[in-house]
Amino acid sequence: MALPLPPASNLQAILLVTKSRSLGPRLVFHYPPISPSAAALAANKAPVWFGNETSTGSVGSDSSSSDWDSSTENDGGDDDAEAGSKTSGGRTSGRTGTSHREEKKLRPGAGGAWGRQESIDEEDAEEGAEGGKAGGGARAMGGDRDWDTVLGFKVDALEKILCPGKSFNKRKFELGVESVVFVGAPMFVREDGLWKKRKKRRKRRAEERVQNGDLLANLALSDSDEDAASQDESKSKSKSKSKKKEKEDDFVFPPGFEPGYGHGLMSGAASGAVSEAGSDTRSNSTTNDNPDMTMFNVVFVLNPPALEYQLRTKNMYDNVTKKYAKALKYEQARFQYVWKESKRIIDIKQRAKENGESLSATWRKIINTSPLAKSLATMFDAISNDKIAHIHFDASFNTSFQIPQADSTPYLPNALEPQMPGLWLTTSNVVIDDDNDAPMTQHAALLLLEDPEVILKDIQGDKGNAAALAFYIRNIVPTKSLLKISNKHNILAQDMEFIAGHLVYWRRARLIAPLHPGDTYIVSPNADMSNMQAAISAYAMRFPTLPSLPKMLSLLSGNPKPYKSFIPTAEHRDAYMDILAWLMRGGWVTQLRTFAWVRVSPEIKAQVATEMEREAVLKKAEDARREAWDTESLNESLLSDKRSSFLSAGGATARPGTPLRRTRRDRESDDDNAGAESNMILSPRTAATGWRGSPARAASDAGSTSSARTTIAYPATTQRPLSPAQPSNTNTKPTHHPSPLHLNPTSPSPSHPNPSQTLSPTSPNPSLPSTHHPSIILSPTKASSLETRWLEKIGHTFRDPDLREHWPMLLRHLDGRHAIEDVSPREGLKRKRVAGLFGGVREGGWLVIVRHW
Amino acid sequence: MPTRAIKAIFFTRFHHEKGSRVLHQVPEGSITPSKTPSALAEPLFSFESITSYLIPTQQFCDRLLTFCISKCRVIGYPVCIREGKYSRNEFIFNFALVVEEGLADWVAFGEVVRKLGRLLRGLEEQGGFLSGEEEGRGVWEDDGAGEEAGLGFGGGSKVYALCEMVLEDLNNYAECMIPIDDSNTINLKLFPTRPPPPPIHAHTVPLLTISLSTLSTPISSDLTLSRILPYINGINSVSHIAQLADTDLSLTRKAIQHLVYYSCLVLLDIFSFGAVYAPTAEIGGFIVDEGVKEECMRYVAVPRIRWGSNSNRGAKLGSESDRGRGGGGGGGDERSSSISSSTSQHSETYTSASGFPAATDADPAPSDSHPLTHDTLITLYTSLRQGLTLRNWVLDNLPLLSGIDIRRLITFGVIKGFLYRVHKYAIATSLNLPPAPPTSLQSGAQSTVGGGHAYRDSDTSTIRGHLNTSHITQQHTNANHHTNASGLHHKPSLASTTTHTTTNLFSPGAIAERQAEEVTRLDSLVSDGVEGGLPLVKFLDGMHCFDEICTELGMSEKAVEGKIRGVGEVQVFSR
Repeated sequence: MALPLPPASNLQAILLVTKSRSLGPRLVFHYPPISPSAAALAANKAPVWFGNETSTGSVGSDSSSSDWDSSTENDGGDDDAEAGSKTSGGRTSGRTGTSHREEKKLRPGAGGAWGRQESIDEEDAEEGAEGGKAGGGARAMGGDRDWDTVLGFKVDALEKILCPGKSFNKRKFELGVESVVFVGAPMFVREDGLWKKRKKRRKRRAEERVQNGDLLANLALSDSDEDAASQDESKSKSKSKSKKKEKEDDFVFPPGFEPGYGHGLMSGAASGAVSEAGSDTRSNSTTNDNPDMTMFNVVFVLNPPALEYQLRTKNMYDNVTKKYAKALKYEQARFQYVWKESKRIIDIKQRAKENGESLSATWRKIINTSPLAKSLATMFDAISNDKIAHIHFDASFNTSFQIPQADSTPYLPNALEPQMPGLWLTTSNVVIDDDNDAPMTQHAALLLLEDPEVILKDIQGDKGNAAALAFYIRNIVPTKSLLKISNKHNILAQDMEFIAGHLVYWRRARLIAPLHPGDTYIVSPNADMSNMQAAISAYAMRFPTLPSLPKMLSLLSGNPKPYKSFIPTAEHRDAYMDILAWLMRGGWVTQLRTFAWVRVSPEIKAQVATEMEREAVLKKAEDARREAWDTESLNESLLSDKRSSFLSAGGATARPGTPLRRTRRDRESDDDNAGAESNMILSPRTAATGWRGSPARAASDAGSTSSARTTIAYPATTQRPLSPAQPSNTNTKPTHHPSPLHLNPTSPSPSHPNPSQTLSPTSPNPSLPSTHHPSIILSPTKASSLETRWLEKIGHTFRDPDLREHWPMLLRHLDGRHAIEDVSPREGLKRKRVAGLFGGVREGGWLVIVRHW
Repeated sequence: MPTRAIKAIFFTRFHHEKGSRVLHQVPEGSITPSKTPSALAEPLFSFESITSYLIPTQQFCDRLLTFCISKCRVIGYPVCIREGKYSRNEFIFNFALVVEEGLADWVAFGEVVRKLGRLLRGLEEQGGFLSGEEEGRGVWEDDGAGEEAGLGFGGGSKVYALCEMVLEDLNNYAECMIPIDDSNTINLKLFPTRPPPPPIHAHTVPLLTISLSTLSTPISSDLTLSRILPYINGINSVSHIAQLADTDLSLTRKAIQHLVYYSCLVLLDIFSFGAVYAPTAEIGGFIVDEGVKEECMRYVAVPRIRWGSNSNRGAKLGSESDRGRGGGGGGGDERSSSISSSTSQHSETYTSASGFPAATDADPAPSDSHPLTHDTLITLYTSLRQGLTLRNWVLDNLPLLSGIDIRRLITFGVIKGFLYRVHKYAIATSLNLPPAPPTSLQSGAQSTVGGGHAYRDSDTSTIRGHLNTSHITQQHTNANHHTNASGLHHKPSLASTTTHTTTNLFSPGAIAERQAEEVTRLDSLVSDGVEGGLPLVKFLDGMHCFDEICTELGMSEKAVEGKIRGVGEVQVFSR
């Protein structure tokens, strides 16, 4: 589906499972401590598509929609109940009772629902009654004392099933239990007892370091205290540059350890350096021949709605699960991180369990003690709220994880589609897959989504990089393209671009077309109205003396006008541009961009057809066998004779003189004709076959007298018989074939050339515009030869030499996919110049123009 | 539903001594290697590595278990029957099927597997359907014998036949009915998972995409549904439908939600000539796609071309074109069947036909046999823009619009997604409940609407006049109200800019837009207006579009606008 779905990780819990020789499969840690039962999770499936319902409240829409939800989803509850009553064994019925009640209880709560004691208690009670096992009594103590179940499963069963066989090494582990899915990336120890290949490691690590060092190198950190990093700086810089080249097209981020703000920036360097320095020796010393832990598996528990299942699990696995497991494995390889931490956690849990302590207290203790447990908790809290998780593994290794979110969409969802109010609506981020398109990144501006101060505060933690980064961030303005900024401040363009990509990826900024007072902005149809009240006060705080937010929106919602028309005086300019940036940031407004196609008028077509006819004739005339025919008219008559026989054979085209040129355009014009017919009298399309070779047409051909060089078939003729009641000679339009002067028309269109109107049975001149329909050239760069001729012809009509010269350049952008606003940066012309050129073409009426975002 | 999505079906049993074993598999060799001539050369995945998920611990039995391996998704429902008659008191089996890992809607298959698992459990419990087969047939003999037995056994086994039939039928027909014995039949069907329906607002306009009235049997025994169906025509809003059908609004909304769920209808906005429409980014798709343009032409064309030469246009026009529209709907376009019932309903908005008299008056020549071309459509659609009301757009493009049903033209664009309705919102910045004199802010908002305010109003009045005449001929009810209304219509100058803000509250000329129901409410409205706009205030938080406000309050847009100005400082904006 092209529409982006609202971010929803559906993350419900994270489990860490290890398998060791001494302890076997073991569920080391799970977070949150008190987890909802799987049955409850399975029931809670309502997607958040229409989350922002703005109901009037006059009708009980909430109740109705939730009722509806339960009846539409394939919920296990009903089926369960049914089956449970059928089956004799009480197992299922007990379970379903739970799920039913849980469903009702837990439905309203999405995120924080599992803090609720009562539902958990009930679940436990059910389980106790149902299981009838020894543990039942202990579990009845309550959720916070419940050491034996996680997610409603017994721990021993769960840890076994989450320890897959070796064949799942480094593969995706995906186990679905009802609609709850466990996504993991199991990591196994190697046969030789190591967690990393020993031989190639040095090389690979070095490479990895370069990759990790990319950012660092690009930042040109001279004050880095990491020796390795500064040493490598020059080297990796050159490397990274070449790498950047490849990456230029779209922002690719170094896989694996992308740092997020505030933590990651130096982690790359740090990890690289430390690993180089320490990992060899340490991992060698700590790993013996018989390692205790053989596998660990970090399992993310999701409950995605059925329709989003594939998307959500894939996102989670690709962006979080896999990367996190890799990071853990890396730490494990360095100094047995996972196993050491696991032993510590198991130890604390064991003691707490024996002392009968509560889960939540124990969990607090564990999280405070173990960085691994803390990282899991951090991960859960961030990812389940669709935020970025900054994970701190140990002193030398930090990194960040996130599920990337769409920052813009070209599609405005209709009422039936998932809504994402507030999402920036634009086509400027749509990658047009044309080979000749240079990426726009350099010409884009960076719009920080938070104030520079906020971002700078977040990165204070980075001693070395903060200063360098602050320099970049302070210089970023949304009104200047990256290119301009880097030129002005003497920043390497690649660095700028990398920083930009980094900020964009980590949701700190968006790439936008530079804000310009000459551009037009409208209130985005996708603006998030439910956020309005908060936005008004935030806006008022920020721009106390300027027009209020509603006022600004009101201004921008009229007839689209350049933004500058709202700026009262030159002194207000900066403030108003700030407002615009603020509005863009919140998705309140979007730029109205202009798109255009070339419309070829019938006159041009006729002219080209005539020329081509003449060329064909000339060619024939040169032909030796035709030498006898010394006059053009004779030539012509022969041709038309030939053609009419050709036509009657049934292979007619509109331009028989150039059969080879019969391309899409011809088919289109046929379509046009057919369309015109059908819309006139709703006549069956079958008529289209009859009229082509009709004697009337041949006769008209023969009778063509007005033009000396006319040999073009006349498809429009037959429109007349189709509308018999039409007065035959209503047309008073001049029917002479147009001269170039005529072709620089004052008003050929946008009014509607009316072919059948100019039709006259007595002068069926094929080179008349009336025989042609206006058409649109969809892609000038891929135009057929005939289309190219038309375009050339149009180019000749321009009086302005400048325009003539730039016509081919303009054509590249007149395909309805490139915004005219982008022409100026792309082609390196001044905005005014482009506007002038474009205006010139538009005045000629050669364009179909549409404006959207 | 994807065809042939099921790659394999297999039946696994757990034996207390021999462990888990695949007893039946279709196709042969898909799960475990088989010596059958027709068997697959290579199993889809390694059976050993997944046995613990096929036959899990009891905690995970009687649940739908899925897991992915080797690009396959195995969907199983392990069943554990605990009864004394079995060895070790347990009978564990799993009837699982294999689909592509990436299959988007595997949940539908999951439901089938769940149902099969439960059915087999029931059959086993009733009469030993599964265990009976194993007795004396040497299924559990070790390899050589087992293989051979399995081979012969495949032919006679009911379970094997079940695997085969389920696979074939579900892959080919997405459903199957397999009689098991006298009292049991397995009925399975793959139900595609549908997206959740959106909340239905009272101000949305449903339009059927399939013709429900032509169905031979009634689609539902739902009384609300059957009552509202005749009124769903792409013109009436939900609340209006509820009124016309005399049904409860919330029930109506729910019924419409059902129809949306089954993709029987789309939701539109309330069409009116005061509305603003603008192209979305998908307009490019329309321009490029010939097929859509053809479809559009068929959809929007008013079938009668010849009426332009008709000398006595006038009173009859409205109804005539309306009828024509209904007739055109009947022929061909399935969507239009829903329109056919609309003849009496057009008073909801301007009918598109009511614009035509003006068209012919202004420019009779081109309206003669003006053929509708792709180019015209493109010109029309691309000339829509933000801030331009449909009314003004019609006036700008009158010559091009002959033979075109304007409402359908707009609706087509909205349905296809290349037009969107620009909704109007109001937000109160400060409330002063006694009607305030118009402030500079309001006039500012006015000016942004466009310089041609006066122009617009005067021009609307011409259309209104025509509309009015058609009304006189058509409305036989509410005679006194009607004269009242028509009298008011002929005072269009009331709505000119200068008097706008002050007299609006009491200028009934502003109410001309919604006729039938609105007119009857005129009195209450005016009196309501005197009291001030208290019920209105809650809508002024920027979250309620004008359509919604009008629907909820039962007022016309002009009236609402007038009241809003009385409320205090209110900014009106559109998005």
